[in-house]
Amino acid sequence: MLFTLNELVQWLGLTIFEIWINLLAITLFTILLALRLENIITGGSAWWIVFAPLFAADGLNAYFCTIVYIRMQLERLYKVALFRVSWSFLFLVLLFVFKFLLCQKLSGQGHHEYSEVLAPIFILLQLIMVRACQMH
Amino acid sequence: MAVLHRALFTWFILLVFLILLVLRLDSRTQWNWFIVFVPLWIYDSILLIYVLFNMISLCKNSHERMSIVRRKVWYIMAIIFKMATQIILCLKLEYPSWNISIILVMLPMWILFPVLLIDVFMTLVIQTHY
Repeated sequence: MLFTLNELVQWLGLTIFEIWINLLAITLFTILLALRLENIITGGSAWWIVFAPLFAADGLNAYFCTIVYIRMQLERLYKVALFRVSWSFLFLVLLFVFKFLLCQKLSGQGHHEYSEVLAPIFILLQLIMVRACQMH
Repeated sequence: MAVLHRALFTWFILLVFLILLVLRLDSRTQWNWFIVFVPLWIYDSILLIYVLFNMISLCKNSHERMSIVRRKVWYIMAIIFKMATQIILCLKLEYPSWNISIILVMLPMWILFPVLLIDVFMTLVIQTHY
């Protein structure tokens, strides 16, 4: 639409595979979310079940990034590999913290405000802005 | 527009929307949900205009590129589905007494996401072939 897939890959530093995994997780998440809001999934850990696909996607992406890092190391691309792995893990960790806090907040376990819950997203947005400025 | 401008524009819209969303969720303001979503309405309208202009200029210039035009039509459909979700979501949040089912809110998403998934998957398959 506004961006081609390749521009998104360049901007966000995700590979197409990671984007696909995330999309799949979000689709499953919306289905589970609807089930939760319709009170079909109930119980103490209901929100954790709803967020499970997102956490699973994070885990898969982390595994994928590790593999890519190891392969880049083997190909002696040390500097590029280091940059790539640090960005990927920063991205994953910030998103994970956001989802974790949100899940805690929704299950009524945490006492954070929404501004605190979204803090990782705001940090991530600033980093994404810096990356946008580096694009040509 | 250069890719930098598009990226910065998207970033700015997202930032403003998230700030408004946080203010509304923390009950620091009691604004109408439709106002909270204003950045997204602006973004969607600009996106629609951008895609439409692109499509018109393509149609004028060549007749053979039907596949590209078809793709643009699908983009417009996707934007309309996204807007539909947002409108129903706003209605649900703003008027809880209407009892709009969450299924109805999610329905456009559930149509959009599988198609998107297939599209990204096809790109993935094609790119790995080369």
